[in-house]
Amino acid sequence: MSGPMLELDGVTKHYTTRRGVVRAVESVSLAVQPRSTMALVGESGCGKTTLARMILQLERPTAGAIRFEGQDVAAMRGAALQAYRREVMAVFQDPYSSLNPRLRVGTIIAEPVLAHERPSRAELDKRVAEVLDVVGLPATAARLYPHEFSGGQRQRIAIARALALRPRLMVLDEPVSALDVSIRAQILNLLADIQAEYGLTYLIIAHDLALVEHFSSDVAVIYLGCVAETGPTEQVFAQPRHPYTQALLAAVPLPDPDHVLSEAAALGEIASALDPPAGCRFHPRCPHAMDICRTTRPLAAGSPHITACHLPRTSLP
Amino acid sequence: MLLSVRNLQTHLHLRRGLLRAVDGVSLEVAEGETLGLVGESGSGKTMTGLSLLRLLPKGSGRIAGGSIQLDGQELTTLSEAQLARDIRGRRIAMIMQDPMTSLNPVFSIGDQVGSPLRNHDIARGTALRGAVVDVLRRVRLPSPGERLGDYPHQFSGGQRQRIVAAMAIGCTPRLLVADEPTTALDVTIQVQIINLLRTIQDDTGAGIILITHDLGVAASLCRRIAVMYAGQIVETGPVRAIYRSPSHPYTQALLAAIPRLGAKRGRLTAIAGQPPSLIDPPTGCRFAARCPSRMAKCAEAPPVVDLGDGHSASCWKLAS
Amino acid sequence: MRAEMFRGVPWLALLVLAAVGICAAGGEALLPFEPGELDLGAAFKPPAWISGDWASPLGADNLGRDILSRIMAGSRVSVIVAFYAILFSGGIGAVAGMVAGYFGGWVDTVLMRLIEIQQSVPAIALALILAAALEPGLPTVVLVIVLTYWAWYARIIRGEIMALKGRDYIAFARVAGVGTARIFLRHLLPNIFNTLVVLATLQVGQVILFEASLSFLGLGIQQPDISWGLMLADARQYITNAWWAITMPGIAIMLTCLASNIFGDWLRDRLDPHLRQL
Repeated sequence: MSGPMLELDGVTKHYTTRRGVVRAVESVSLAVQPRSTMALVGESGCGKTTLARMILQLERPTAGAIRFEGQDVAAMRGAALQAYRREVMAVFQDPYSSLNPRLRVGTIIAEPVLAHERPSRAELDKRVAEVLDVVGLPATAARLYPHEFSGGQRQRIAIARALALRPRLMVLDEPVSALDVSIRAQILNLLADIQAEYGLTYLIIAHDLALVEHFSSDVAVIYLGCVAETGPTEQVFAQPRHPYTQALLAAVPLPDPDHVLSEAAALGEIASALDPPAGCRFHPRCPHAMDICRTTRPLAAGSPHITACHLPRTSLP
Repeated sequence: MLLSVRNLQTHLHLRRGLLRAVDGVSLEVAEGETLGLVGESGSGKTMTGLSLLRLLPKGSGRIAGGSIQLDGQELTTLSEAQLARDIRGRRIAMIMQDPMTSLNPVFSIGDQVGSPLRNHDIARGTALRGAVVDVLRRVRLPSPGERLGDYPHQFSGGQRQRIVAAMAIGCTPRLLVADEPTTALDVTIQVQIINLLRTIQDDTGAGIILITHDLGVAASLCRRIAVMYAGQIVETGPVRAIYRSPSHPYTQALLAAIPRLGAKRGRLTAIAGQPPSLIDPPTGCRFAARCPSRMAKCAEAPPVVDLGDGHSASCWKLAS
Repeated sequence: MRAEMFRGVPWLALLVLAAVGICAAGGEALLPFEPGELDLGAAFKPPAWISGDWASPLGADNLGRDILSRIMAGSRVSVIVAFYAILFSGGIGAVAGMVAGYFGGWVDTVLMRLIEIQQSVPAIALALILAAALEPGLPTVVLVIVLTYWAWYARIIRGEIMALKGRDYIAFARVAGVGTARIFLRHLLPNIFNTLVVLATLQVGQVILFEASLSFLGLGIQQPDISWGLMLADARQYITNAWWAITMPGIAIMLTCLASNIFGDWLRDRLDPHLRQL
């Protein structure tokens, strides 16, 4: 099948709270190609997790459409929805909250399978042992409870569970940020191996830019609910066009004592999604802000490297 | 030497047994110097920092041995009262990871920044307000004079960390212990706090111990680095030596395991296995079980090998 | 591991509860006398250690009925009422709390309003109305208690569910298409089970006291059935010349409530320390 596997078209999410309307996600359009890894990056509260929750059908968009292989996800009911739920799985950030402490690992991994199929006991055990093997755990792990495992091992269990039904799309919500540095590399390598072996499509949410550059093929930089810049990871990181992407990259401390950090690229504080700035949402912090930035929201332009910024393309650094 | 720690042993008495959180740590910090204490969770880096101020978990935590000297004065033998009066918040101050838990939500920030000044007799009465505004200006809090009466929730995360820093530097401490001061912050805010710590050091000449798991943050702030693993320092040296020519296999593995911005895509070099339990740690080298260059000798405790220029590592491979 | 499990078990409280349980279950076989048997010659016989005899160790009431036998027989009503009242109030409360907490929205709003209304109705007034409308007796007592207590369970369980709902394993189950029924049975119920057990244990004492109060007021168990509350009501007018007739069942009520509260506190600390504010 050609065309994107997952397509977001003007996806918007507003929450009504006592203090007003929170504009968590504002008209986000993205396309995720099969077998690629799309990374959503941005700072806390930028809406990347809300986007993931909408893709996972845990929340509904206020406006816009999410299409999976051309079909509107929000319109899915009954069998179509079950079919979608079988193709799309998730791995969450906190390996402690993502496994039910009262179930054995075998039961945890079997759960998605049993939600869609009625395999025999023996066949189920075999499938559980298989995915445990894929994530590098012994088959005997199935009989134990989550608390008997370390954080890294728990994350392997969560990956095994997501893999059990051989889904096509996996949403990875900060899959390694709760883990120690020496364990992160194990899990990232495992995820890369699994993707290569099963031809999976990944949507990864992360705040660590070095990880994103290493792990993803495409990236979307999100600021206050809007996509600032998106495109192939290599292009975006080599030639960031949006001042926010530039600020983010300049602010990352490198494990290199001769690297000089730049604070000048993004002064001040992140605004609130409760009362986002008019025009370009980044303008109060942008060193290049012009009059038009304060009044008019910039349109996304370019292909495949898309930037939403008023600065003329030619003058972009 | 401003701070000199020798063979520090800190024990936690847990129900599961005796946990040797810090097991023979020695380190030195000179005036105006930033030492990075780098390690993963459970490596003992935070316990080392808390031991300096004897702020260990009540009941279970105890300094079981070693010495801590600040300007030549032994701290381990001081009474609680002496520590509280002369050391904590006065000569050694601390900045914690989460600014929200370091600040009391029911007091105004003016009260909170002023209270160490009052307690340690730095400023009183009418002079206090001026002193508080002055400290808040030094941490670059915007319009400090108008915001003294505001409460912590009225500030952003980065601003709160500035206020916490103001509380710490008010009494011009000799040593600042910063425990993951930027971990809870976003990158664009993190860089602001990193620069703030640098400014504070330039202004006050205080020594800083930066406790962090982030090798990038450590590289951007520290002059010297001490790498901790399983309760011990495995390698210490000038920042360039550590990052350019890491000598301990753990330091090498750690640097190879992190993805780097601008580096070529490729497989990360993962470290197999997990750190050992500190309740019953292995004899000999504690990294041996995960080490790619393990030898038979590693079953014995490795010697500290001097590599010159203040760079040293504890490893048998370097001893031969 | 074994020794750890039994650390600090309140043995005395367990002993009292076991005694009550045995009396309730053992029935007539254990009783020294037929509890309803009148013996006017033995009326107001004092307890053995005063001037009575060991045939009736706790003495006899105004009609010469053996007090020990009647306390033992009365324990059955207490246990039956406690059992049904807790089963139904816990069951209804748990289901209501789970549904309200999990689904939120208007379901939650409606249930919360109901709980608030329920909690502002005085229990005694409710009992009076129900006793007038229905036949007073054991089923009515259970009904009154259930109507009074279900909201207590519902409120606490709802809070627990709201916290659980945020866990990622619930989110994953929804993402993977796991049915709502299974989410309730496999993920929610096992995680509130400890809370339910603790709440139920803590409620035993309250239910027994409640039943006694209702029976004492004449709204509960009726003659010739025997209940501790009824014994208090019977003996009230003779308090000056036969204090034991009212004191002994009073002590039985107190000991049972105390024992179940101590046991419930212990169980709560063992299973669910964060419930300590209850």
